[in-house]
Amino acid sequence: MSLQQLRTALLALALISLAGCSSLGIKPWERDVLARQEMALDAYPIDTAFDEHIYFSKEAASGGRGFGGGGCGCN
Amino acid sequence: MQLKKRSPAELRLGLMAATCALLVQSAHGQEATDTTADGEKPLQIDAGALYYKENAGRIQSYDAIVTVRKDFGDEYILGLNAAYDSLSGGSPTGAIPNRAAQTFATPSGTSVKAATGAPVTYTTASGRTVAQLSKVSVYTAAPGTLPIDSGFHDQRVAGDISWSQPLGQNNKIAVGGHLSHEEDFRSASANVSFSRDFYSKNTTLGISASTEFDNVNPVGGIPLAGSDYTKLQKGSDRTKQVTGGQLGLTQVLARNWITQVNISYDSSSGYLTDPYKIVSVLDSKGAITGYRFESRPESRARRSIYMGNKVAIGSSVLDLSLRHGTDDWGINNDTIDARYRFNLGSDDLYIEPHLRYYQQSAADFYHLYVSSPGVLPTYMSADPRLAAFTARTIGFKIGVKLQDQDEVSVRVEAYQQDAKVRSSTLTGLSGLDLNPSLQSFICQLNWRFSY
Repeated sequence: MSLQQLRTALLALALISLAGCSSLGIKPWERDVLARQEMALDAYPIDTAFDEHIYFSKEAASGGRGFGGGGCGCN
Repeated sequence: MQLKKRSPAELRLGLMAATCALLVQSAHGQEATDTTADGEKPLQIDAGALYYKENAGRIQSYDAIVTVRKDFGDEYILGLNAAYDSLSGGSPTGAIPNRAAQTFATPSGTSVKAATGAPVTYTTASGRTVAQLSKVSVYTAAPGTLPIDSGFHDQRVAGDISWSQPLGQNNKIAVGGHLSHEEDFRSASANVSFSRDFYSKNTTLGISASTEFDNVNPVGGIPLAGSDYTKLQKGSDRTKQVTGGQLGLTQVLARNWITQVNISYDSSSGYLTDPYKIVSVLDSKGAITGYRFESRPESRARRSIYMGNKVAIGSSVLDLSLRHGTDDWGINNDTIDARYRFNLGSDDLYIEPHLRYYQQSAADFYHLYVSSPGVLPTYMSADPRLAAFTARTIGFKIGVKLQDQDEVSVRVEAYQQDAKVRSSTLTGLSGLDLNPSLQSFICQLNWRFSY
């Protein structure tokens, strides 16, 4: 991805969030399903931590999800 | 008003009933203050233990992580994380298999140095000039096998701390720090993030930054990048820095669907070479004439875009994520990761199959081997992790809910990595598997409980 493409993607992200998101979503009283523990985006942080540690040490790519990988001499 | 006169027995009964009612009410009140607005208890502890084993005598490790999440109410949250790893076995050195046995020095090997600091050399019977070595122990790779120093062992301890809190209406700020220590590597990092909710909390935009400082202090010292392996020219420790940033959007798309998109960038500088990796040097027919320590550029910039989804389908939940990354070392990579959680019975038991597919292209300076005579490249690495390969993970997890948010679970997975280039047309290498597949197995136990 070139810097130009990155800028375009960032602009697209901003536009989507500003223009599109207002018509999406649910009412506060409709959050019953999203409130389930397993619906959290990172419902099992220990699994995520182990996975990111393993893949960081075996592959050239890491992170993306949050502050994953790093802090290890294994790569 | 005429009060009815009660007997002492009736009075005692009445007082007992009133006391019980007060106690029950008090207990309910206590429960209300001990749970957060979304029904979670304020202290959640996750503990995990992992056993990891690779094929062909490579790495095996025992890892443990404990995380503590303390909610002080009103979204003031403290996070603590401690991790411990114990590794043994070995990783491929980068040298390719050969028809004859190959002998290597362990990483602790260093050369004898003159007062000037230059290595002291001598000439062998075959006319090669090599270093006089001190403190060298050796290991041998059998004919046709991938050279692996199986004497490796290390321990790693790491700790994280994080704090998040609201910052005015609809805003949240979080800060975090990380320290880790190994025999040959130390790391410290810090991060800060800011997020804002829009549209009744259906949309969240976030921005974050991180910085990391590492000290690389390998056993035996840092080899001179690109130098002749037999001379074991080594120097003192080096450092590297990583600075990164991320923009994120979280969006509720439907009552049963939430999605997250992150764009990440990080820039590394300093010592990015692997001090334990070497590259085989071959003549025009494929005979091994020597080895060089690998040499990587001293900077790297990586970019990635990540999309994660959680979709409830009836009582089941699909977790689907995609990631595309690229960097200025020429490595492009794609990942797709899917988990599907089946809640069984009265939702107290679940089983979650997991599939993951990953592929990457090779780094520009990756070489299975280099050829001499001829000018050797400035940057060269035969590290299999910089090769073009595909990787697959298949596994499943079984969990049992105990009470409230408490649960125990077991996860079992298998991972396989297959390099795209594994052979050579050189006559001396025909029939050899030059980059054998990596297979690994994990078994993980989790325990979550809360107060």
